[in-house]
Amino acid sequence: MSTDQDIEPRVDCTVDADGRTVFGVHPAPAAPRARLLLALRPAKDEPERTTRLLDLGPADGTHRRTAVLPVEQRLPEGRWDLYLLPEPDGERQRLRAGPRDLRALVDGAARDRSAPVAARVPYVTKGGFLALRTWLRDAHAEAGRITLADGTLTARLRLHGAESGPRPGVWLRLRGRAGTELAAEVRVAADHRDLSFTASLADLAAPAAAARSGRCIWDVFVRPGGAVPPVRVSRFLDDLADRKDIQVYPEVPVGEALVRPYYTVDNDLSVVVTRTG
Amino acid sequence: MKISFLLHNAYGIGGTITTTFNLAQALARRHTVEIVSVLRHRERPHFALDPRVALRPLVDLRQEKEHPLHLRPAQVFPAAEYRYEQYSELTDQRIGACLEAIDADVVVGTRPGLNVHLALQAPAHVARVGQEHLTLDNHPPRLRTALRRAYRRLDVLTTVTEADADAYRRKMRLPGVRIEALPNSVPDPVLPPADGTAKVVVAAGRLVPVKRYDLIIEAFARVAAEHPDWQLRIYGKGEEHDRLRALVLRLGLSDNVLLMGPAAPMEAEWVKGSIGAAASNFEPFGMTLVEAMRCGLPVVSTDCPYGPGEIIQDGVDGRLVPVGDTAAFGAALLELVRDDERRRRMGRAAVENARRFAPGPVLEQAERLLERAVAARRAGRPAAEDRDPVRRVLVGQGFAARDAVHATGSHALRTLRRGRR
Repeated sequence: MSTDQDIEPRVDCTVDADGRTVFGVHPAPAAPRARLLLALRPAKDEPERTTRLLDLGPADGTHRRTAVLPVEQRLPEGRWDLYLLPEPDGERQRLRAGPRDLRALVDGAARDRSAPVAARVPYVTKGGFLALRTWLRDAHAEAGRITLADGTLTARLRLHGAESGPRPGVWLRLRGRAGTELAAEVRVAADHRDLSFTASLADLAAPAAAARSGRCIWDVFVRPGGAVPPVRVSRFLDDLADRKDIQVYPEVPVGEALVRPYYTVDNDLSVVVTRTG
Repeated sequence: MKISFLLHNAYGIGGTITTTFNLAQALARRHTVEIVSVLRHRERPHFALDPRVALRPLVDLRQEKEHPLHLRPAQVFPAAEYRYEQYSELTDQRIGACLEAIDADVVVGTRPGLNVHLALQAPAHVARVGQEHLTLDNHPPRLRTALRRAYRRLDVLTTVTEADADAYRRKMRLPGVRIEALPNSVPDPVLPPADGTAKVVVAAGRLVPVKRYDLIIEAFARVAAEHPDWQLRIYGKGEEHDRLRALVLRLGLSDNVLLMGPAAPMEAEWVKGSIGAAASNFEPFGMTLVEAMRCGLPVVSTDCPYGPGEIIQDGVDGRLVPVGDTAAFGAALLELVRDDERRRRMGRAAVENARRFAPGPVLEQAERLLERAVAARRAGRPAAEDRDPVRRVLVGQGFAARDAVHATGSHALRTLRRGRR
C-alpha cells in the first residue's frame, strides 16, 4: 500500500437542525493558515468564477480541524467542490469524503423557511469526493405527495418564503415552446402555505401528438399571487441531493402517450410525456 | 504471534473481505499480520487496509490471466467448491509454494477450498485455523465429503454462528479439531447512535432474490397506509433492482419507498432511520443486522437460518418473524412504528446488546483460539479433547455415509428427476 493513501486527508461533515454545516478535516493539516476552499462548479467550458474560503480552527483532541459554514452564509445555487488550501497561494487539494451526519436534514420539509430559501446537501461524488448541492431561491414551493388517479395528476405543495394570495395559480409550462401553458386547478389551505393542484392527464398528453421527437416535458410553476414572481416547484428540503433515480413515479398510459411526473437532475418537478402510437 | 490470513481476493467487495480486514487490523496491534490474497485484479483494495497489515497477492490476473497453468483446472482446490472455476494449476502451485515457505505461527483459511489447501499443504509446525463464512448444511454433498476428509487435519475450525458450529460437531467426525463459533465483528460506529425519532425504516444489502426486499416492500405497504409520513429506504444494488422498482410503482408507494442505490459505509445512512429491516430466506450471519443495531436501530428480521436468531433477542432489541410471512413482518414493523417509547427502548437495547460484536470482544476470542492452536501444534496434541468420542464417531459416520451416497448418486438422482418431469 502506498503511503500517500494512508495520509490523504478526508473531510467529514455534520449538519445541525439550524442548517449550520461543520466540516472536519482529518488528519489535521499541519499548515497553520490552511483553509477550506469551496468552488462552484462552472458550466461546461466556462472558467471557475465563484469560490468561498472557510478558516480551519486549531486541531482538536482527535487530530481534526474544523470549519463552519454558518446558516446565514447563502451560497449561490449549484454544485460546490471542496478543496484543502494549505497556503494562500499554494496548490489546492480535492478532499475525499468522510462520514456525513445529515440526520437533521431528513425531516427538513416539516420546518417552515423564510425568504430567501436556502438549502444545502453535502453528498459524495462518483469519485468519492465531498461536494455540496445548494439551492437558493427568493421563494420556494416544496413538492409533496403526488397522486395519479382517475385521469388526473394531483400534487401537494408547501410554500416557503412566500404566502399565497387568495387566488394562487399553478401553471405547467411546455419546455422549449414559449407560451404553451396549462393552468391547473388549485386548492389552498387556511394557512396560505399548503396548496394542491390537479391537472388532467389528457391535457398533459395532448402536445405529444404534435411533438417532432415524440416526447415533451412540462415544468411546474406556482404564482402565489400579488407581486410574487412565479416559483418553480421542486423538492430539496431534505437530505437527498439527487432525487431523480431514487424517488420515481409510475408512467400512466393516456391514449397514445405515457405521462410520468419526475424530478429533474436539479430536483425540480416536471412531467414527461412520451408518444407510444 | 505471526499470523497469515489466506483470502480468495482482497481486492473485491464482500462480507468475508470486510470481516477478514477488520480482524486482521485488530490483531495487527499486538501481532505481525499479513493477508495473502490468492487473486488480484486491480491496483488497490476497495476497502482501505491498515498499513500495519501486509498484503501479498499470489496471482495477478492483470498479467497472468492467460498464463498456461492458469488455463488448466485445479487439482488441490476441491472441484465441488463454489469458486472452483476461478482456481487453476497456477493457484494450486502458488498457494502450495506460499504455504511451504510460510514464516507464520498460524495460518487462517477463509473459505472451504482454501481451508483444504491449508489442511493438506501447511508445514507440520504451522498451526491451521479454518474459517467457514458459509454454512455446512448449504454446502453440496460432494463438497461436504471433500471437507470431511481434509478438515480433520485442521487444529481449529470456526463458524460464524453457534448453529453452524453445532452442525459441524454433529455431522462431521473431526476428532481433535476444536470447533467454535467466532462471529463477524463490526467496528465501533463513529457517529452518535440514532435517537429513534426519524420516521424512516432502513434496509441494506445486495439486491438479490434471497434477501427478499420484495417482502419488505409489500409489508411496508401496510405501514404506509396507516402512517403515510413514514419512509422505507432500501440501499444497495443488484439484479433485483428493476423488479423492486416495478413493485414500488405497482403498489403506488412512490412517495414512501425510496431505492437509494449503494452506500458505503452505511453508518451515516443507518443513523437517519429508527428501524432496520431484513427479510432474507437464508443468512449465514447477518452483518447488516449488527451494523444497524450498533447504530441504535432495533431490527425487524426473519428468523431464517442461521444468523438472525443469534443476533436479535426477540422483543428486546428487535423482532424475529417467520420466514416468508409478509403479514407477520408488516405487523412487527407497525408495532414499532406505532409505539415511539418501545421503539426507542429497543434501539437503546440494540446498542447495548450488539457490543458483543465489537472488534474488542471478538478479537479477544480470536486471539485465544489462535494461541490455543499454536500451543497445540507445538506440543503435538489436538486443540480439542473429545468428550464422547464413541458417540461422535457413530453419528459422524452416519452423516458421512449419507453425503457419500448423495455425492456419488447425485448424477443418477438428477437423471431420475429429469426423467420424472
